[in-house]
Amino acid sequence: MKDELLKKLSACVEFGKTNKAALYPPQMKGEDGADEITSQLLDVGVGAQEILTEGLMPGMEKVGIKFRENKIFVPQVLMSAKAMGMSMVHLKPFFTSGAAKQKGTFIIGTVQGDLHDIGKNLVAMMVEGSGYKVIDLGTDCLAEKYIAAIKENPGAAVGLSALLTTTMVNMEQITKDIKAVFPETLVTIGGAPVNDDFCLKIGADNYSADPQGVVDFLNTKIA
Amino acid sequence: MKVEFTYQYEELVIDMDRLRKGLGYSEEPIPELFIDYLEKVKEDCRELNDICGAFYICQDLQFAANKRSFFAGGTEFKVGRTIAQKLRKADKMAFFVCTAGKTISEKASSLLKGEDPVLGYVYDIMGSAIAEAVADEVQHHIEQQMLPLGAKVTNRYSPGYCHWNVSDQHKLFSLFDENPCGVSLTESALMNPVKSVSGVIGIGRNVEFQDYQCSLCAMKDCVYRSDE
Repeated sequence: MKDELLKKLSACVEFGKTNKAALYPPQMKGEDGADEITSQLLDVGVGAQEILTEGLMPGMEKVGIKFRENKIFVPQVLMSAKAMGMSMVHLKPFFTSGAAKQKGTFIIGTVQGDLHDIGKNLVAMMVEGSGYKVIDLGTDCLAEKYIAAIKENPGAAVGLSALLTTTMVNMEQITKDIKAVFPETLVTIGGAPVNDDFCLKIGADNYSADPQGVVDFLNTKIA
Repeated sequence: MKVEFTYQYEELVIDMDRLRKGLGYSEEPIPELFIDYLEKVKEDCRELNDICGAFYICQDLQFAANKRSFFAGGTEFKVGRTIAQKLRKADKMAFFVCTAGKTISEKASSLLKGEDPVLGYVYDIMGSAIAEAVADEVQHHIEQQMLPLGAKVTNRYSPGYCHWNVSDQHKLFSLFDENPCGVSLTESALMNPVKSVSGVIGIGRNVEFQDYQCSLCAMKDCVYRSDE
């Protein structure tokens, strides 16, 4: 029963089935969603850790891969994130109390001078669904904001996002400012105007073209 | 000359292909739920009453010798080599500020952060489409106004793109009265409401409008990018 429920939960995340009342996706209409299945798993004694690693994470990994391969698009990823969020409402108390552990902490924000946040949000959702605690600093973030968050969360990795070509300059300065205070902190960058060469030039540790790339990087370096 | 117009959603030509592309479904069919969301958003947009476009035509124009900037009304706009080259034959410049308004910008933002991110995303994409549609209207208005004078217009260029530093927004806004169309700037030169666009259009007998501009831009994943 446990394995069956975990498999179902994974499918809920993969296809964005939030709860029983949800009409989306059409092929799962009337079935239990992430909300109900997570409750059922906890009721039969499955731990929050196992629900995260065996239910949510495999589902979110499939979402990340399908998004990378252009098989699904932003609205579907948001539905998956919504389903995952429904499940996380049940699990959060266990992570907060320390009864269950996340893989690490990821701080993310859109850099100073830039208000675009959809890409940043997608990365945050995907990383959270992959088992990390995510601290979202929002948009138009100064270096000081990232540095304060790193001080409060030693060992956390940092994600910098930018959409405007002109805010790439701020990304460079913020990376330098972070590295000046915390040389060991991993900095990953993303956004339409940046690439591997720019990552190398500014001294960041990773560039990812899609959210799953950030997850892969964190899994290699932190988990 | 400073001009400000308000618009109703119905008056605007929303590029539905661009909207579909913005949602991600340029070729694939949009799932039924998202079609319902789109219809709901379109219906809601009929109630918007803060869609606005403003422009100011400046005739006091000089191009800098460095080929990277120009002076309008004595203010230097450091647009970068690419944009300066596209504008260099202009006799006048039209600066514009257009917005889909506070209502849709705040609705998109609050839904994205909270109860329904998918619906928020549809509002977000629609807000961008409305702001661009207003800019299309403003550009068309200027074009029609210039036609009898034998002048043409260039494409629109905005701070933040093609290496034109977003900090020049402060200079651009200083050409208008305070908060044109209700749009204000943050300290780091970002517009509030978020669903707003600003920029410049060159005007002159010898300027050209070019259909394909994407090769100028480094944003390879932009939803507006054309593959031509």
